[in-house]
Amino acid sequence: MNLTVNGVATSVESAPLTSLLDVLREELGITSPKAGCEQGGCGACTVLVDGEARRSCLTPVAAVDGAAITTVEGLGSPEHLAPIQQAFTHHYAAQCGFCTSGMMMAAQAYLDDGGNDDHEAIQDALGGHVCRCTGYVKIIDAVAAAARGESFDLSVTAAGTSMTNLGGVS
Amino acid sequence: MKAVGARVPRYDGVAHVTGHTMFVDDLKIPGALWAKAFRSPVHNAGMSNLDTSKAEAMPGVHVITWNDVPLLEYGHLSALGIPADEPLLAKDEVRYLGQPIAIVAAPSEEAAMAAVAAITADFDERPALFDVRKAFDADAPQIHAEGNWYRHFEDEMDRRQIRKGNIDEAFDKADLIVQGVYRPAAIEHAPIETQVCQVVPEANGRLTIYSCTQALYFSMGVVAAHLQLPLNKLKVVGGTVGGGFGGKVDTATETLCALLAQKSGKPVRWRWTREEEFLCSSTRAPWHMEIADAVTKDGWILGRKMLTLHDSGAYARFSPYGLTKHSFHHTGAYSIPNLEFDGYVVYTNRTPTTAMRGFGVTSVSFATETHMSRIALELGIDPYELRLKNANRVGDTSPNQIAYTDPSTVPTILAIADAVGHDLTPEYKAMTPGPRSGALLPEHLVGQLGNPEDH
Amino acid sequence: MAPEVLIPSSPAEAASLFGDGTGTTVIGGGTVVVPDLTSGRIDPGRVLLLSRAGLDGFTVDGDTITLGATTTVQSLLGLADQVAALAACAANLADNEIRGQATVAGNLCVGAGYEAPRGDLQGCLLALDARVRSTGPGGETTEPLEDFLAHRHDRLALDVSFERPAASTFASLAYPHTHEYTVLAVTAARSGDGIIRLAATGLAGPGARLRSAEALAGDIEAAAAAAPGDVTFADDALASAWYRSQVLPVLVRRVLSELEESA
Repeated sequence: MNLTVNGVATSVESAPLTSLLDVLREELGITSPKAGCEQGGCGACTVLVDGEARRSCLTPVAAVDGAAITTVEGLGSPEHLAPIQQAFTHHYAAQCGFCTSGMMMAAQAYLDDGGNDDHEAIQDALGGHVCRCTGYVKIIDAVAAAARGESFDLSVTAAGTSMTNLGGVS
Repeated sequence: MKAVGARVPRYDGVAHVTGHTMFVDDLKIPGALWAKAFRSPVHNAGMSNLDTSKAEAMPGVHVITWNDVPLLEYGHLSALGIPADEPLLAKDEVRYLGQPIAIVAAPSEEAAMAAVAAITADFDERPALFDVRKAFDADAPQIHAEGNWYRHFEDEMDRRQIRKGNIDEAFDKADLIVQGVYRPAAIEHAPIETQVCQVVPEANGRLTIYSCTQALYFSMGVVAAHLQLPLNKLKVVGGTVGGGFGGKVDTATETLCALLAQKSGKPVRWRWTREEEFLCSSTRAPWHMEIADAVTKDGWILGRKMLTLHDSGAYARFSPYGLTKHSFHHTGAYSIPNLEFDGYVVYTNRTPTTAMRGFGVTSVSFATETHMSRIALELGIDPYELRLKNANRVGDTSPNQIAYTDPSTVPTILAIADAVGHDLTPEYKAMTPGPRSGALLPEHLVGQLGNPEDH
Repeated sequence: MAPEVLIPSSPAEAASLFGDGTGTTVIGGGTVVVPDLTSGRIDPGRVLLLSRAGLDGFTVDGDTITLGATTTVQSLLGLADQVAALAACAANLADNEIRGQATVAGNLCVGAGYEAPRGDLQGCLLALDARVRSTGPGGETTEPLEDFLAHRHDRLALDVSFERPAASTFASLAYPHTHEYTVLAVTAARSGDGIIRLAATGLAGPGARLRSAEALAGDIEAAAAAAPGDVTFADDALASAWYRSQVLPVLVRRVLSELEESA
């Protein structure tokens, strides 16, 4: 079987009913989608399949043979964060970080679909995603900010810039 | 304190949003075997004829049972005087549904599941106990070796006991006794990352343990004790936790993976399913609390009688510690001079319970605050005034006789009243947490106060 | 044991490969079957995967609406103007990601859940007096949904069709977030020729018609009171049978009142 994963044509050896989650994590070493429940109940495994947000734990890989798969690794990198990644960083939308990949892929699909900063619409789009740490407020704020096309000064909140602004606390 | 109020970077913020954060299951260790557990299907039973031979005969499969554990029972909090009572793997009985009996390691997840399915044992079911209130009945099933409640508080007392002042006098003098029963249920932590561990047996005989534990050094000690290894044989890599909330302190996977890594000579990886996480991982304990307060018409709380039953599940684990903390806080943010507190760690056939956000104290805060509101309702007094009057002040003493030096009850309640727009009389608005005097020092509190200098 | 996996690329091939269905597990979208595969709860020998079988999509031909077996639940939202209850029932299911993968036939053919009811679309389509075209032992047949449900595990559904109703309403009792299965739901539909049909899900078995309530549909209170007598409830992880019996009349009252208002 064949997938295009984050723009790279990839052949897949896993058995046809292997979940897309396991194909990505176990065969291809793409670990951003997480095994939170393997029942579709938490959203930690969500990736984009031909641009649509889907639970990779529920998807038999044979059903998406030939599809384009996008994961967090395909959104951006530490050197070039995508707007949704910047928004999440700036708004402290991640605490433990385990639900974050799924949240951002759902958010990205929402934004790609023209989603705006309406909080109810955002909650609806991310309704399948559970976070046990943040209480969701900052996640929704981050998605709303990204929807408004805000730019973020990450000089304070991005880890790469260290804490020199606090006078050398290391 | 330059960080407070400032926007500061999360050191892991960028890693979280780029998928770079390496959670334990994200580590790709070549040749790692998959672990799965054979667990008790029943709540309470004698176990015999455990047969792992068919599993062990499967290609590439390794199995551990109680017999493989150098020190089968180790009290995780033995340093706090809590004796060991829980076998790492069940030996001749099971006391909770889901209790681990045997762990297998196999070349694939599928092979591991097949190996577990090939393990058999006989279970001779016994009556189970689920209600802490019934634990004390003469005809209750006795489910723990030492009976149905813990007996090793100081001087081998079977309860955590606090006595302060003269409770009988307080109840005699009361205008009203206000009673309440509070029973918060168990809560499953439900972190999005389930329990997970990987252990690598190094060429030099050391074990490297990649763990989701919240308590790295603590877990290291537990592994060392069960395996009877010196600490310098272990290297624990941790700190990246996909949510814990108190549920990842039980060292639930590390010791077992370490044993399998030793036995097989191969790396071992164990990731719990969500079903295991719900059914077999420890929860916040259910509590049963009964409070009776002796109060005066004008809102003084003269004394409190309290009974707490803490549902420890099948084994003690950390419960005596949780109950002890609970007992010190059983008056909450308020000063009650005469106390009769008795708390029991009660065994049931539930999964053993553990810490969760405010271990032991969250429960009693809920009970205390609800009870204060109940008192205010029964006396017809404003609930803010009731609280402010009885609030901890400098020089008041805690249940365990520690004098407060800087209690925050008064400023907190005033801030709440202000934030919600609740009107207070000038007298109450002007209150401070300073030492009691005048109207705030009624006769029954004279002589009850402590000296903050002693703190 | 790795199963034989067959991926037909046309409805005819799907029917042919399904044959009489012996020993065959069908996967529509995967939302029901894949978790069972992953957990090892099932170990099928032969699996028919319908992702390419060309059974998706709905068509509107005059008054007849036909839903292909693998039409996604999410796409039913596109029928909101024509069949309000169907869109509402679909929108009430899980979240958009799962709806985008779950299929109509998968939902109709689902078996009992693990401590929670499944198959919300059964009730809605029963109220719409739908019929199912399926294949299996004895070949292809078209029958009322009610009859299909009785042997749904032995058949390969091909499509579901019904006449556009004059009006339809849907009411449900569900926990207030996307992850919970629907505790109880009722659909009311008034057909083009004025007949009112009622059906419920969240019962002891699959969705079922509320026939005595239908007979009293002119008197909403009487219909509501009669409804519990038409069905059997069970205790499960979400709610007790008793609780459902108390709520069913409320939902019946609601859908009939709203149906009346739409007249």
